Amino acid sequence: MISRRWIPVLALFLLVVLPDVAHACPVCFDPREENRAAFLATTVFMSLFPLGMVGGLGLWLRKRARELRGLPPLEEESSPEE
Amino acid sequence: MESAVLPVGSRSEPERPGKLMPNGVMGMLLFVFTEAMLFAGFISAHAIVKSRAAGQMWPPFGQPRLPLEQTAVNTAALLASGLVLVFAHFAFRKRPRQALIPLLISVLLGAFFVAAQGREWVALLGEGLTLTSSTYGAFFYVIVGCHALHAVGAILAMAWAWFRLKAERLTASQLATVETFWYFVVLVWPVLYLKVYL
Repeated sequence: MISRRWIPVLALFLLVVLPDVAHACPVCFDPREENRAAFLATTVFMSLFPLGMVGGLGLWLRKRARELRGLPPLEEESSPEE
Repeated sequence: MESAVLPVGSRSEPERPGKLMPNGVMGMLLFVFTEAMLFAGFISAHAIVKSRAAGQMWPPFGQPRLPLEQTAVNTAALLASGLVLVFAHFAFRKRPRQALIPLLISVLLGAFFVAAQGREWVALLGEGLTLTSSTYGAFFYVIVGCHALHAVGAILAMAWAWFRLKAERLTASQLATVETFWYFVVLVWPVLYLKVYL
């Protein structure tokens, strides 16, 4: 039986080691520099794009909610002159 | 749903206090987000396949070049359609019936875009570029065809809005919902054009 305190260490070990062993995406490798750059760029793009869309909508809704409640925009509220 | 059927004359559609956005627009935005991810996936796959092309030749040897100039004209028509829809939006806010003509122009420009793209497809098929001729052809027809399907759907929605406006039954939230769809179709196209055609 593994002691509970070793579980995070084991989890961290698996996180560090397993992806390298498993090659989660066997086609996401190519010796050519252009191809590696394309993989990296598209991974970054596909990761950030949904976050940007949902985050943008959230921020816009927050701004709109403040307007509807008659509150000033956050920048104005936090400005030292006010 | 707040989009109760009200005559156009009474454009002061009752808005629930504290309502952030019409339900239709919110629903359409969620749909647009999923479709944006679909196109993002296509573009990403296209970028990777292009970077792996044999001998860095893109388009591949023996495949016809895409008609850049003709599609640039179609692109201009599509962008103009989006711009005219912005005018229709503001005209509707002033006096709903004033939006009839700009909305119709927007529909016609959109229809022109789809028809011109269809003519381009016929020419390319004649030159030997098919869905199975190469990955180049496959990407072209899947990406551009998917956009064309969205364009047709949005044009039908705008035509529906136009008929409702004519019958004085269109509400501001219905127009905003249709607009959201069309702006997506218009704004995603330049990205596709730059990535697929250039």
